Amino acid sequence: MAVTDTSRSVDEAFSQASLLRAYEKMSLIRIAEEKIADHYLKNKIMSFVHFYIGQEAVAVGVAESLTKNDKMLGNHRSHGHYLAKGGDLKRMICELLGKKEGLGRGKSGSMHMMDRSAGFAGSTPILGSVVPLACGVAFAQKYRKEKNITAVFYGDGASEEGVVYETMNLAGLFRLPLLMVIENNLYSVNSPIQDRRAAGYDIGKIVEGFGARYVRADGLDYRDVRKKAKAFVDYLREGNGPAVVECITYRHMAHSAPIFDESCRTEDVREKREQKDAIKLLRSELLAEGVTEEKITEIEKKNVQIVEEAILFAVKAPFPDKRTLFDDVYV
Amino acid sequence: MMYMYKAERIIKFTEAIREATDQMLAEDKNVFQVGLGVTYKNGADGTTGGLAEKYPGRVLDVPVSEHSFTGMSVGAAIAGLRPIVHHGRIEFAFLAIDQIVTQAAKWNYMFGGGNPVPIVLRIAVGRQWGNGPQHTQSPYALFGGAPGLKVVIPSSPKMAKGLLISAVRDPNPVIYLEPRWLYQIKQHVPAHMYSEPLDKARIVRRGEKITLVAYGDGLIAALEACDILGAKAGVELIDVVSINPIDYKTIQRSVSKTGRLICVDTSPAAFSIGSEIIAAAGKASVLKEKAIGLSCPPAPCPTSTALTEKYYPTKIEIANAVLHVLRKTPIKRKLSFEELHLAPQLTVL
Repeated sequence: MAVTDTSRSVDEAFSQASLLRAYEKMSLIRIAEEKIADHYLKNKIMSFVHFYIGQEAVAVGVAESLTKNDKMLGNHRSHGHYLAKGGDLKRMICELLGKKEGLGRGKSGSMHMMDRSAGFAGSTPILGSVVPLACGVAFAQKYRKEKNITAVFYGDGASEEGVVYETMNLAGLFRLPLLMVIENNLYSVNSPIQDRRAAGYDIGKIVEGFGARYVRADGLDYRDVRKKAKAFVDYLREGNGPAVVECITYRHMAHSAPIFDESCRTEDVREKREQKDAIKLLRSELLAEGVTEEKITEIEKKNVQIVEEAILFAVKAPFPDKRTLFDDVYV
Repeated sequence: MMYMYKAERIIKFTEAIREATDQMLAEDKNVFQVGLGVTYKNGADGTTGGLAEKYPGRVLDVPVSEHSFTGMSVGAAIAGLRPIVHHGRIEFAFLAIDQIVTQAAKWNYMFGGGNPVPIVLRIAVGRQWGNGPQHTQSPYALFGGAPGLKVVIPSSPKMAKGLLISAVRDPNPVIYLEPRWLYQIKQHVPAHMYSEPLDKARIVRRGEKITLVAYGDGLIAALEACDILGAKAGVELIDVVSINPIDYKTIQRSVSKTGRLICVDTSPAAFSIGSEIIAAAGKASVLKEKAIGLSCPPAPCPTSTALTEKYYPTKIEIANAVLHVLRKTPIKRKLSFEELHLAPQLTVL
């Protein structure tokens, strides 16, 4: 499918400074989750968690294509989406640990990122349900004649729910500025995609059958995601919509635990995941472009420091007062 | 001060809903209406007719995608708009239950406050001749157990208008359950905008001897029963109005006075509003004698009039329940086919 390539902005997007910024974000997400996983295992944290490790290029590639006033919504695996949109790491970790300073004051936990100050309009673990919600946020943008767009992340599993297709039609009918980002990590929990799809299943044909634009991106390649997402974002800003970018990626960890679970893997075995890892790829590209190892290590060390400080902050932060159990049921 | 009713202000239940919608669209540009066929000349049973022309781009017909357009409306409310969503039958709203109960109801709470979802879901419910098990369900109590939702049931044109205005202005998700059996009921309705509280029961008739509690279509039957019995029967008739929360205070005050309670449900009794109110009265230990619940039988509502004749509590059955409690002789009167099967066209005070 032909997509207008705004090559000037693509050049800017892939300047050394821009790539370094993207690397800094991807590395922060990775280090944050690795250290959170470690903390969970050592401290028996009783709060459900779905790690994003491996998929960072998708969140950052899309987020770097958006402006601050664009909106983003996600799912149960949204730490990366939230941080990529400019979220507050301290408040995020506070929420994971059930603290008063958390994004949802301890009510939401890991599956519900929300921070309107960052343009992050919410996330929900009811899979396809987030897609019409995001459609509504895009509806409000169009209703108010704003030039902003809404990006929504959902997985290959959620793509099997009917409401996603109802919404492709609805968003097309009203020509809403909705960027639907499918993160295809090949598994719905532990069920591999080939066990869940009819032989001729073709998401591109389905999307284009709704008159919407579709493109497939290599979700392990930051540049590919960034380029394709940006082209669609520009297209949506022109008043067209919706558009779907499907990013093929790998989920390194188990569906919902701070561990590596290899039992379901066939193609994406550990060696392959590590070899094709998104962060390693961007890192080697930066080195090839002449960024020094020292510069990259400096970024990584800074991120380790930021994350350790945030975890320490969250550990020390107070729990919510028990009386707040009844707060905010109603406005 | 005497208020003279103007004949032209005696309007139907559906006209009262239309008037409230019209006035809210005029008052707040964030308000918009979506639903199947809301742009038709007689859209949404006559409740939205002509509004699409009057408010371009703000009254929207939608594809038959209940989950999606309800979710879109919840998302628009999250983003600060004030959608009114119409579902012509609750069976179709069931397709969107995720968006109502799991998304809209939880959103503000789970994000720690400051995230209102100002949406109104107008859902038509219940009784209608010839529509059978899948078009006339009356799960009035369903949303009563979902914290985060406000749920109201208008039982007269005046309430229909005032409650809808309050619902649209409210920052919370409000479920507005419309008993379609009442669509033809007429009443004097003020032309100006006014609001009725979303969380208060309403005392319709004052009395000292017995508390009769009803809502929606059952309220009209109860009102007719009161007329048959006359004021000397001493019935205090209460319209529940709000089922999330239930205004136990108003009901309890009445039952403390009368010591006697009859609840009318137009749904089967299990997990019904009436059962909930009787349970609350039991816990508060204010009853002088056993409470009575009148309800539909534990079966789906059938289609044939030969069977629906026995389905809903009638005004005679309600009147006789009162007479039974008061140790009086029951009334023997057979209802006509019209009284049993056609929606009432009364003008209420």
